[in-house]
Amino acid sequence: MTDIHTLAGAYALYATDELERTRFERHLAECPSCAAEVAELSETMAALSDVTAEAPPPGLRAAVLARSAATPQAPRAGQRPAFRLAGLRSRRLVAAAATFIVLGGAGVAGYQIASHSAHSNGTQASAENKQIAAVLTAPDARLHSATATDGGHVTVVSSRSLDEAVAVIARLPSPGPNHTYQLWLISQGNPRSVGVLAAGSTAATELLSGVRGAQAIGVSREPAGGSATPTQPLVAQLSLT
Amino acid sequence: MAPEPERTLDRPQQPAQPDLDEILHSVAAGDHDAFATLYDAIAPRVFGLIRRIVRDPALAEEVTQDALLEVWRTAHRFDEERGSAVGWILAIAHHRAVDRVRAEQAATDRERRTGTASIAFDEVIAEVTVRLEHQAVRRCLQALTAIQREAIMLAYYGGLTYRDVAERLGAALPAVKTRMRDGLIRLRDCLGVTLG
Repeated sequence: MTDIHTLAGAYALYATDELERTRFERHLAECPSCAAEVAELSETMAALSDVTAEAPPPGLRAAVLARSAATPQAPRAGQRPAFRLAGLRSRRLVAAAATFIVLGGAGVAGYQIASHSAHSNGTQASAENKQIAAVLTAPDARLHSATATDGGHVTVVSSRSLDEAVAVIARLPSPGPNHTYQLWLISQGNPRSVGVLAAGSTAATELLSGVRGAQAIGVSREPAGGSATPTQPLVAQLSLT
Repeated sequence: MAPEPERTLDRPQQPAQPDLDEILHSVAAGDHDAFATLYDAIAPRVFGLIRRIVRDPALAEEVTQDALLEVWRTAHRFDEERGSAVGWILAIAHHRAVDRVRAEQAATDRERRTGTASIAFDEVIAEVTVRLEHQAVRRCLQALTAIQREAIMLAYYGGLTYRDVAERLGAALPAVKTRMRDGLIRLRDCLGVTLG
């Protein structure tokens, strides 16, 4: 039993300073029995957590789910596959994983809402990014998600109080030459254009304003440059009510 | 998984927990539905723990969001060989809450270096202890010496380092380290926590 081993309790309680923590982690890497002990000791404290459990505030669920929907997952280290094939049990899960990969790609990487203060970079974020973050973290943020008719996903996070929504479009099939996708806010059955993707684009993140009175958000395939009203059936429609 | 003999005695009404290890693996694959399921299963424990550490409900809400986002982002790092999903998630929650308390404490210290004990740990510990009164784990905590119990509580719920604990209890550093470890081992054995 080395002297450093006596730190196992303090380490499991997160009660060392950072230097000691780093040193102890090096020790753990070469001492499997120490690692097992630490794991059991921190598990022991976790076992007390149902004693202190309490109902979280009502808005927390929507806020957490909205932020996760817009936050790419951290890349895996090393050569591991982008997602665990063994965990994929249904087509729905495959679709979810596809969304996650697209969300992790360059298209929306700029909109990553960092979970750590150390990572958040408020000064560099553009005004629109800040606005998107505000929608995603609004107490009344709601998450809506739909699979488009020919594949791809549309996820919308809306906040009634901010009168705004964020639409994340991912992995739509190519709109074809000289065509594009267009977003619509639908109020009383009337579509109003709220954004036209770049010609040929199959993914985007759009901030939408004035959503309060709208019942739905739709996406349609249109000639390049967009149309005044949808000229083709919507490829995706999400109810906001 | 932790065997349940002590803990289930007092709450036979508790519904069966979904397999959180399995759900966390789905979360790691980017499954948003699985993350919603995970939230429902774990949020009360995460929020309750964080609120006891940071104390302010609004701050607790913010830290809970950050902790759960970290769970979402880094779910692939969960390794069931090294503990349960609950243990992994609550360790993240605990670390983020303690980080916040320490950062605020450091800021306060910079502003006015007026000594110690600006945070009322005693209230937190009293509150936790009262809740424990009604639980089977009380027996296990009572099996600890007073100083083991206090060292663990001050560190875990008060966010103190073992050096702070030593200062507060007027004990030597090696003694505090030993008490934390011995106390946790005794608690582990009493609760029957094992891995694998």
